[in-house]
Amino acid sequence: MKRSWVMSIIAVNLIVLIALVFVFPHLMISPGPVIPAHADIATDCFACHSALRGVSSQRCQTCHVVADIGMRTTKGKALAKGKSKVAFHQQLLEQDCVACHSDHVGPKLTRHSRKPFSHALIKPDVRTKCDSCHTRPDNNLHKNIKATVACNQCHTTDAWKNATFNHDLLAANTALTCEGCHGKPKDKFHRQIQGNCQQCHSVKQWKPSTFNHDRFFVLDRNHNATCATCHVNNDLSRYTCYGCHEHTPAKIRAEHVEEGIRNFDNCVKCHRSANGEGGERGDD
Amino acid sequence: MSSIKATLLSREVLPFYVSLAALALVSLLLDALLHVFDLVWIGRYLGIPGTLLILFSFGYSLRKRQLIKSGTTVRWLRLHERMAWAGSLLILVHAGIHFNAILGWLAVWAMLINIGSGLTGKYLLERARKRLEAERQKLKDEGLTAGQLEERLHLDSLTFDVVKQWRSVHFPITLAFAVLALAHIISVFIFWGWK
Repeated sequence: MKRSWVMSIIAVNLIVLIALVFVFPHLMISPGPVIPAHADIATDCFACHSALRGVSSQRCQTCHVVADIGMRTTKGKALAKGKSKVAFHQQLLEQDCVACHSDHVGPKLTRHSRKPFSHALIKPDVRTKCDSCHTRPDNNLHKNIKATVACNQCHTTDAWKNATFNHDLLAANTALTCEGCHGKPKDKFHRQIQGNCQQCHSVKQWKPSTFNHDRFFVLDRNHNATCATCHVNNDLSRYTCYGCHEHTPAKIRAEHVEEGIRNFDNCVKCHRSANGEGGERGDD
Repeated sequence: MSSIKATLLSREVLPFYVSLAALALVSLLLDALLHVFDLVWIGRYLGIPGTLLILFSFGYSLRKRQLIKSGTTVRWLRLHERMAWAGSLLILVHAGIHFNAILGWLAVWAMLINIGSGLTGKYLLERARKRLEAERQKLKDEGLTAGQLEERLHLDSLTFDVVKQWRSVHFPITLAFAVLALAHIISVFIFWGWK
């Protein structure tokens, strides 16, 4: 008798629970709330789901007409200009809505089941027109890229970063203004230099630089000076040895004339270091 | 006295809690691994083998009712215990620590109560079996005849009443779990897109 009572209570409870499934399907069996825009069909599971077949894109399209996506609301009201980018949805290879969209956005379980967006879903001729969906970045680099350069010359559709940049793509007038994109190194040496990076560095790589000052003049002992001492106005293509009090034009002239040397304008032609008397060297 | 208590603890009480704790720990570990390796989708499908294992474990009930003839009842009972444990493990990983649909949650809770009840039954059955065996041996040693032995053991079989009472609790719990799980499975079949 007691057992039958327990069984009856359990049976009644189970019947009530099953009834609640039909009354509150959005709470009892839905994996999470639907998006706010679908609030009015939250309890009507079959608005999107087909029995035994899951969600079908055809059901989405009964409200969301593909030709109108991005242009008109489901009520037929035109969208404000600029809100939609292009006729993106209309250019997809397949009209498979649930490949990208899920209504129950809450649980990770359903979120993860979605395929992420793939550019492979877009028709090939539209796939290369990146700017129909993406806006060109508003930074110096992208502003100075030649107008004829297409995005896919540097970027792939897999990821924006890890682009394969080539300096040849830069407009001629910006190709030499390295600081437009690169920050100047903060070390003691580079702090003294303004521009003219390409005198030492190539666009292929920053290191190693081609510059070796010893080839021109060894900077040791008394000649361990700042760049501007010899390269006035940071013009590294020129130098002067008269930047310090030791070498005055008059003194140099007197010393060289005494030796019968008349051509002494280009000091490093003979003097590659502070050592010795120097001698005739080839031009570099 | 203290050694009897120690034996009771190590042989009867401890295995009960170890089995329960192992179920919780292993399911948490598997769930964590699926998350770490970004394989959460596997958990979604673990409900199927979990349900099948639990269904197969009911072979014991069929064997008890002579609907299956092969295998000993004891062997079927062991299979029932192990398969139900493994199936519950897979279902727990499948459920994860998510707070989604209420029906799924109710089914999981019914299953957890069922596991607790099942392990309690295992403990009671084992204890009754041991007591009966000890009593039979004791009476045999006392030189009782078969008739007397039968008479005395009948009184001891009252110990089995505890098991019987437990069964009357275990069955409705299992029924509740079965109904809720079935409702969950049907709803999944209706709404899920099997692609």
